[in-house]
Amino acid sequence: MTEYTRTGPLLRHAVLIGFALVVLFPFAWIVMASFKTQIALLMGQWRFEPTLFSYDSVINGKTSDFVTNFKNSSIIAISSTSIVLTVATLAAFSLYRLQWADWVLRVLLAWSVIFHMVPPITLAGAWYTMFRSVGLDNTYAGIILAHTTINLPMALWMMGVFIRDVPKELVEAAQIDGAKTPKVLRYVVIPIVRPGLAATGILCFIFSWNEFPVALTLSQRATATVPLGIGKYAQENTIAYTEMAAASTLSIVPAFILLIVAQRFIVRGLTSGAVK
Amino acid sequence: MTKKHLLGERLRFASLLAGTAMAAALAAPVLAEEAPITIVINQSPWFPGFQSVVELYEETTGNTVELDVNPFAGSLEKQRTAVRTDESPFDLLIMNAGFFVEFYKGGFMDALTDIDPEFKLSDEIYDFDESVCWDATAETVTCGGDGKLTAIPVNPNILIMHYRADLYEENGLEVPKTWDELMANAQVLNDQPKIYGISQRGQRGAFDVTYDVFPYIWSHGGGIFKDQKAGDFTITINSPETLAGMETYLKLASEVGHPSTAGQTQTNVIQNMATGKAAHIQSVLAPGLFDDPNQSAVVGNVNYAATPASKDFPAATPLGHWLAGVPKNVPDDRKAAALAFLTWFQTPEAQEAYARAGSAPVSRAVMEGPMSETEEFRWMKALSEAIPTAGLTFLIPEASQVLAVTELRFNEAIGGQLELKEALNTAAKEIAKIMTDAGYDAPMLDELK
Amino acid sequence: MKSDNFWRYATLAPAVILFVLLTILPLFNLLALSFHDVEWLNREAVWEWVGARNYARLPEDTLFNAGILNTIIFAVLAVAFQMVLGFWLALMTTRVTRLRVFYRAVFILPILVPGIIIGAIWKLMYSYDFGVINQTIMFLGGNPVDWLGNPNLSLMSVIIVDVWHWTPFCFLLMLASLESLPTDIFEAAEIDGATKGQVLRHIILPLMMPAIIVTFIFRMILAFKVFDEIYLLTGGGPGTSTEVISFTIYRRFFTEDQSGYGSAMSLATIAVIATLIILASRFATKKGPEA
Repeated sequence: MTEYTRTGPLLRHAVLIGFALVVLFPFAWIVMASFKTQIALLMGQWRFEPTLFSYDSVINGKTSDFVTNFKNSSIIAISSTSIVLTVATLAAFSLYRLQWADWVLRVLLAWSVIFHMVPPITLAGAWYTMFRSVGLDNTYAGIILAHTTINLPMALWMMGVFIRDVPKELVEAAQIDGAKTPKVLRYVVIPIVRPGLAATGILCFIFSWNEFPVALTLSQRATATVPLGIGKYAQENTIAYTEMAAASTLSIVPAFILLIVAQRFIVRGLTSGAVK
Repeated sequence: MTKKHLLGERLRFASLLAGTAMAAALAAPVLAEEAPITIVINQSPWFPGFQSVVELYEETTGNTVELDVNPFAGSLEKQRTAVRTDESPFDLLIMNAGFFVEFYKGGFMDALTDIDPEFKLSDEIYDFDESVCWDATAETVTCGGDGKLTAIPVNPNILIMHYRADLYEENGLEVPKTWDELMANAQVLNDQPKIYGISQRGQRGAFDVTYDVFPYIWSHGGGIFKDQKAGDFTITINSPETLAGMETYLKLASEVGHPSTAGQTQTNVIQNMATGKAAHIQSVLAPGLFDDPNQSAVVGNVNYAATPASKDFPAATPLGHWLAGVPKNVPDDRKAAALAFLTWFQTPEAQEAYARAGSAPVSRAVMEGPMSETEEFRWMKALSEAIPTAGLTFLIPEASQVLAVTELRFNEAIGGQLELKEALNTAAKEIAKIMTDAGYDAPMLDELK
Repeated sequence: MKSDNFWRYATLAPAVILFVLLTILPLFNLLALSFHDVEWLNREAVWEWVGARNYARLPEDTLFNAGILNTIIFAVLAVAFQMVLGFWLALMTTRVTRLRVFYRAVFILPILVPGIIIGAIWKLMYSYDFGVINQTIMFLGGNPVDWLGNPNLSLMSVIIVDVWHWTPFCFLLMLASLESLPTDIFEAAEIDGATKGQVLRHIILPLMMPAIIVTFIFRMILAFKVFDEIYLLTGGGPGTSTEVISFTIYRRFFTEDQSGYGSAMSLATIAVIATLIILASRFATKKGPEA
């Protein structure tokens, strides 16, 4: 085993576990809050009688659409993530490995990053008008398109980084062997960029899952997403903390499961022993 | 009040609902007479009550009402986008006191009497400083002259004083009528860090600290403008009267207030009362919150009164109420259906059901009727006493620009980053610039020295 | 080697089409708005040409100045912290075998939480009277600290929350990049007798530079767009101590409905971020971001 720092394994674990606790504490606190009553939470009580009231209210409450929100968010986040990964990987491969002129690369990357800097609130209105004129307001398609576009710059740049790790010679060798682009992608590029693809996918999924202002403008009750549902607990003059905590605990679960699944793709180093 | 009692009340209400529905169902097959409508509204502590009333309406009339419920932070967005498009997906907008003028003035709302000349604001429903009417020629809020009925109130959000009745009894205190009396009472009860004499809402937000100081500055004869309704936009935020109001506010904050008044929102203030940390707060009413053992450690111990007056001027409180209006860009059949709902909503039965479901109603008859004598609805008296003293805060679409100034400068004065007089003088200059740029005649007073 | 032209176009087309359809119009709309004042009269939007006046107003705007300054401080400090911490945690994580999956999962957790909840929950944890942080301080015998209400502390308190929330972003990308590095280089270096520090400085860092730069750029942009977590934490106060530029833009563009002025502010902000990013990238590498 190669050692790059002087810290021994035990010390390393101690540090890592220390950080894990710092990360986990607020998290555990949210989960704990979801089982408290509002007053127990406000008074910072450590001993309390756990209650399922908040979960009941979030899932079954008359004024809550959480189940619908959850379904909508799943559809929107999964679709937009798949589309953006496909589009960005193809484009990044094209830009870096298919001999485009330098200006094409520069213009596209620069434009996408400038677009990424635009505050979403200024986009939402323009998109609403556009989508409404073609009947895409209050539809999944509209929000999926919007989220795809919002995440495309980041995905494009990141996939660019990972695709540049694919040796040019490998791609060229495959092309000389007569492999068409789809085959090159499938058998040469994808296996190498898998960790990057998974990381980018996780980020796009999370950003879509948590996006608020654009989803608010483009949706109505039937297409509203989880953050809109959670946002409803931050009311004009009160915050329903415990319900918010319950809703967020529920909201984090699918993202977490996805994370664990995607982990398997990132964990390449484990077998190849990159920097163990 | 015990939990059981509340539950019983709710059960009784539920059976009442069921009974009404069944009676209606037996009497005649309920057929929808009106087109289905959609109401855009924000989630709030009073929303569940509104929802119950909407369900009651659906059961008794057979009409369909869809509720598009949004986070508070998003309700203005949704409404603005809706009225600015070719056809609004929403037939009734629930507008806040803070932004309804923009919708009136932009010509987005249909006068209710233009849709149906027979339509009226019931005599029993408050008009909230005439904010239900809009005079398009004079561009102001008035029910006289060319003013037309443009909205129906749905919630009477105003600041009222909350105090700890149990502590009052223990110490033999009287409910304060003036700020001096409030100060004296707060001094008796102040026992920091255990309990604060008063908790105030000094944080800078969209309409936070400014809202909180209005009862102080109005009841000292001050304000931000001289007389908006009459079109006199003389800037009075640095008048000696406003200064006196602010000095009262700061005196309470520094002597008996929360150590972090400049960092407190309305949410914090309500929490301070609910956790027993505050002896007094000025807050918008959340009926039932302090009597709910799941949300409050002071169940049955909070009572309500109108905000205090000063020696020289009567009490006054700012309106933060909600209004329902019909946008112009919806089809006629849905406009008619929206009006049908508003007509029904004003009836005494609807208003009483609304109150029983946990919201403050907008009907004088209910607020001053037998319900107000009960322990559960003891807040009604304070509210009905305060509503006639409630005034509109802003009558101009530039309100939020002015608020950006006042929120910052009041907050800086409270946090001690700016000396009070300097804060008021600076605010006056900045407001004058906004108003002059927008084409108003807005003269300034002499600087405070 | 020439690949066939069909695939060359077909692979790039979807991205280009999306950009053309969905970004050009909103961006040009923003540009056009910034030279106009828009007023709504009788349900009609009236655009009035005002030239560069909206831009000229910016330097006099108290909130804009405070917003830009605070955001730069906020973004630089928070992102620097997150980059170093994220890289270091990623490095440490790749160097252990046991519990590795656990660490990876845990360190990513915070970005899963929606911003609005981060704001609400940390506000409670920072609460002066009952917050868990002051509870701990008082338990240890200290005096309660006014984390969010004291203008000298508030920005720092907000940065702490942001570091907690966003370090996972850097961690995740650094980790993915570390795991993509070719293994044989390390073996070769080891055989040549390079020390661990040398390997880190001369092999790992240069190889990871593209990933580090891209992570930095996007993290920086996101930091400039920070909104919901601070919205519930402080609302920009006390005074202007935590006013960040996205608040100012939101307020001017949306709440006050000054879409012309707000657009000018957005575009000016974009210019500021772009300058910062270019400066930082030049500093990091002579080749620039397209290296």
